Amino acid sequence: MAPQVLIPQSADEAATLYGDGEGITVFAGGTILMPELASGRIRPERALLLHASGLSGIRSDGGVIRIGAMTPVAALVDGPVPWLLSIYATHVADYEVRQSATIGGNICAPPGRESQRGDLGAALIALGARVRSAGKGGERTEAVEDFLSGDRSGRLVLEIEIDVDAARKSGASGKRRKHAHSYAIANVAIAERDGELRVAVAGVGPTAVRCRSVEASRDPQDVLEDVDPVDDAVATAEYRRQILPLLVREALDRLETE
Amino acid sequence: MRLTVNGIESEISSPPLTPLLHVLRDELDVTSPKAGCQQGGCGTCTVLVDGEPRRSCLTPVAAVDGASITTLEGVGEPERLSPVQAAFYEKYAAQCGFCTPGMIMAATALIDRKGGPVERDEVLEALGGHYCRCTGYVKIVDAVMAASRGEVGDVQDLPVSEAGEPSVEVHGSPA
Amino acid sequence: MKAVGARLPRYDGVGHVTGRTRFVDDVRVGKTLWVKALRSPHHHAAITRLDVSKAAAMPGVHAIVTHEDIPRNVYGHLEALGVPGDEPLLAAEDVRYLGQPIAAVAAESEAAAQAAVEAIEVSYEEKPALFDIRKALDPDAPQIHHWGNVYPHYGSYNHRRVRKGNIDWAFEKADVIVEGVYRPQAIEQLPLETQVCTVVPEPDGRLTVYSCTQAMYFSMGVVAAHLQWPLNRLKFVGGTVGGGFGGKVDTATDTICCLLALKARRPVKWRWTREEEMLCSSTRAPWHIELADAVTSDGWILGRRTLTIHDAGAYARFSPYGLTKHAFHHSGAYTIPNLRFDGFVAFTNRVPTTAMRGFGVTSVSFAVETHLNRVAEAIGMDPWELRLKNANRVGDTTGNGVTLKDPSTVPVTLAAAERVGIELPAEYRAMTSDPRGGDLLPEHLAAQQNLSELNGGGH
Repeated sequence: MAPQVLIPQSADEAATLYGDGEGITVFAGGTILMPELASGRIRPERALLLHASGLSGIRSDGGVIRIGAMTPVAALVDGPVPWLLSIYATHVADYEVRQSATIGGNICAPPGRESQRGDLGAALIALGARVRSAGKGGERTEAVEDFLSGDRSGRLVLEIEIDVDAARKSGASGKRRKHAHSYAIANVAIAERDGELRVAVAGVGPTAVRCRSVEASRDPQDVLEDVDPVDDAVATAEYRRQILPLLVREALDRLETE
Repeated sequence: MRLTVNGIESEISSPPLTPLLHVLRDELDVTSPKAGCQQGGCGTCTVLVDGEPRRSCLTPVAAVDGASITTLEGVGEPERLSPVQAAFYEKYAAQCGFCTPGMIMAATALIDRKGGPVERDEVLEALGGHYCRCTGYVKIVDAVMAASRGEVGDVQDLPVSEAGEPSVEVHGSPA
Repeated sequence: MKAVGARLPRYDGVGHVTGRTRFVDDVRVGKTLWVKALRSPHHHAAITRLDVSKAAAMPGVHAIVTHEDIPRNVYGHLEALGVPGDEPLLAAEDVRYLGQPIAAVAAESEAAAQAAVEAIEVSYEEKPALFDIRKALDPDAPQIHHWGNVYPHYGSYNHRRVRKGNIDWAFEKADVIVEGVYRPQAIEQLPLETQVCTVVPEPDGRLTVYSCTQAMYFSMGVVAAHLQWPLNRLKFVGGTVGGGFGGKVDTATDTICCLLALKARRPVKWRWTREEEMLCSSTRAPWHIELADAVTSDGWILGRRTLTIHDAGAYARFSPYGLTKHAFHHSGAYTIPNLRFDGFVAFTNRVPTTAMRGFGVTSVSFAVETHLNRVAEAIGMDPWELRLKNANRVGDTTGNGVTLKDPSTVPVTLAAAERVGIELPAEYRAMTSDPRGGDLLPEHLAAQQNLSELNGGGH
């Protein structure tokens, strides 16, 4: 059965067509869904394609950087966004996939069958990013860690907001396979603002996680109280448990002025 | 939907979620982009969409409605090779040839956006998502660097064998 | 010698760089149907029910083939070399690996073919599976193959044997015995072009087969055998292969496409997905190799005992041949006067394994060369000198009884040492492949056995 394909021409139309998301498959960049479609693992009834909805672009609005959900990851690599987000964007897939993949898709992606996804999540949490989304009950804006830990299935991401002064200092560390298309084994992102740390980890479980224990104690070992690493095809849980405190230490040591 | 492929505009009748790869291959008979993995992992389906390299297998055709697409067929003719094509030919950067379409498209885009000589690490970064199982990459990287510097022989003078027939006389068993 | 050392244009080079090279997937034939296969979801099971009638009635479906449609279902890839057949083209009673084809559909589109595959009614009774070659010979191992868990057809033996000299003497005389276990793993050949085939039924009753095979006449023979046809009814078009590396020696798609083209009376095309290629196509075999070398403290390898187990996967295919090559090469580029080699081809519920770049040889070369470094370390000898001392020389005899006329171990080893800046003692630098004699005569051996006996030693 050929799916019904919806191509909204504005953000408002996208939100209206999306409704409460029931029975809708959202195509952002397509880099995750197209292989699923080709292999027959998904058979959408209604597909919402967002490429024409005007949701792409980065703009500065007072003290806030607003990144449209359809902004390609490539635009984050050298775009007007905090260094911490750029550095993780450069590690997403390869040059061509980054042209298609979007920031909205990155934070909405469920874990894959062989690996975790959402490599940008740690940077966004550390930067205190907020997600503006539509769906059942209308629009809402919430912290990215709350969006990630909640039920994302009925939400259509419209925009990511990051305060211009989100990070006075930031640090990053990560472990990945030397292969352009491999997702992270573990990413650690740390940002400091007004003397307060925000610490987050991505790649070790179904979503990125904010590490409040480490924020409180600044003890790298405490990261294992914040996250419960999983086994997958790119690394074992045990390996992730071994390297995570080291990566947190490394990111803390690297904290530098943006 | 409409696409301009290698300068020729066509009305597209494939369903909107059809991968651009299959529109090119099966509707338009443009077969240089290959179905190597159909999951974005190998690079051989890479084409230029309005000048930027993209994986055609990951791109629903509706998302590029109206775009100008360039495939390897549109880069140069056998009698008029582009510098990247000439460098790949001259430096033996293609063995089985199956990854070559994607390699040349990505390399062409890299040289276009740099606008001058490219360094080894830039080539490795730009071709990082492209697999070749035959050559071991050294000749491919060398060819891209040479092309970016114009270090290719006069293409008109490159020796060309008759297609399909090796000019080497083989005596005895090649095994 | 016009070609050697000359820069010659590649005859297919311009085609490759302009996108004009026509691979099998690029062949365009009107009214071509797409093929999809029903594959086993189990590693080992009995098929208790198979009914394709509902699938055959689905829209767009033109033909379905099962084992009942194949004139000769079981044919061995090496029957011409005396290796009996054991593998059905389409599974009839049992499935022995995950992904084994059971039925194939030809339909108007890939989606229609896939929908029909999913509509085939099939039931299984799962059986215990075996994955570890080291357990294949255990009395309580699951029995997974009708020949037993090892390939039994090496003459009167159930394994490949090499016997040379007196192995017990060598181990009695040894100053040091160095043992090692080597386990090279399975590797997917991973050509960028997946398995693909297009078959066109011609008006004269022949079939034109556009094949990605690495071995055209071989594939032609395999297809003809399954179809029970004379070769002259098959026209194979090949030669342009998008990478093979051994994996396209197996005839994976051609025969099933021929059967479907005949039944549907339409051209058919089967292009495996990357997942099928990774999960269901043959791989390089994993091996379990145990070596024990009997060595003198001054660096003579008096004897070698070898036990090797080759993982054939679920069926024999080329494995018996791969193991034979492995046996030829188990002493490496060195002459060892006393050898005892026992090699088994074991069946497991993995995908059948096949050739990949040095079929059977790469695994044993890895083991032998790693082992020599261990031997050198055990006796405190330079590993280059150990290799040169035991290198093949003119007149030496290999394990399988070949007298060497032009061995290259010495000059190649010396050249390699020079390349990487290794300074060898003068007596080694002066070595040639000339017959053994003088100061490099293995005097330990000479004292106990005369050289003529060694060189003519038992096979």
